[in-house]
Amino acid sequence: MITQPGFLASEFPPGVESFDYKSLIPSLDGTTWGPAFTKLTLLVWLAVAIVIIFFLVTYRNPTLVPNKKQWLAESVYGVVRNNIATDIIGPQGVRFAPYLATIFVFVFVTNLWSIVPFAQISPNSHLAFPAVLAVLTWLLYIGLGVKKHGFLGYLKHSTVQPGVPWWVHPILVPIEFISNLILRPITLSVRLFANMFAGHMILLVFTLGGVALWNSGPLLLKPAALGSWAFAIVMTLFELFILSLQAYVFTLLSATYFQSSISEEH
Amino acid sequence: MADDQPPKRPQQQGADAGWAALGYLLSGMIVWGGAGWLIDKWLGLPNVGLLIGLIGGGAAGVYLIIKRLDG
Repeated sequence: MITQPGFLASEFPPGVESFDYKSLIPSLDGTTWGPAFTKLTLLVWLAVAIVIIFFLVTYRNPTLVPNKKQWLAESVYGVVRNNIATDIIGPQGVRFAPYLATIFVFVFVTNLWSIVPFAQISPNSHLAFPAVLAVLTWLLYIGLGVKKHGFLGYLKHSTVQPGVPWWVHPILVPIEFISNLILRPITLSVRLFANMFAGHMILLVFTLGGVALWNSGPLLLKPAALGSWAFAIVMTLFELFILSLQAYVFTLLSATYFQSSISEEH
Repeated sequence: MADDQPPKRPQQQGADAGWAALGYLLSGMIVWGGAGWLIDKWLGLPNVGLLIGLIGGGAAGVYLIIKRLDG
């Protein structure tokens, strides 16, 4: 947290250790349970609470002509249901809309912490959080396919490419297997993690770099510090764009994976 | 939007096609490059298998992309 510029400048340049936080319960610090309750987990709990309370409040007394909050909640769900679930999966995609909307809102709010003042870090900039979400999607993706095609049928469905000469199959099947069944959750989580990690790093570099320039002495460098801070603001706005896009992409790709699991043919 | 879709599978979304292509290229090189590397280790060859595996796996990945995303 930004409290004392002189203290922060000593932390320049920022590194991986800038992402580590001390336990909020001092007696647990340094023990195995130290990472269990840090600023990051607090932000996750807060995000969950905000999402639950927001949707409970806005849907408590739904009116035919929605008020502002109800309109916001309905349009978020509507966008996910119409533009992601049914557009990609088809008419039966409606039954995945609750899951997709939950993923979208949760990823969006946890991403949003990266630019909220005083929070200013997204839990998703630690690989563990996107990894759990990706594993959820992956389990559902595999489960849907197995339920639809049977275990061996699903294996064939997702690894054997029709319309290929028989002798090419031994070359292609391992590639399809790795790409479709193993690499997908990894790329899904790494994409979100890397974007949020890089975004936080960029903001740190410009903000702390500005402090370092300001404190470095020569009067000539003071304007450069102001330029650095101005760019930090620009990058914060850019981060807002990136974090919304990543929440959308995560949901979109989850939907495409479900679609490929329940589709009849390739 | 949802009603005027063809009964067949809707066309691949642009973003998804891009990620799928990347996945195929990567896994082609990982799988067959890895297999070649293992053969190198086994027979004590100087990275011949790794080279052949990387190039062949990359080519197979490109072939898969054409087959799957062009249909």
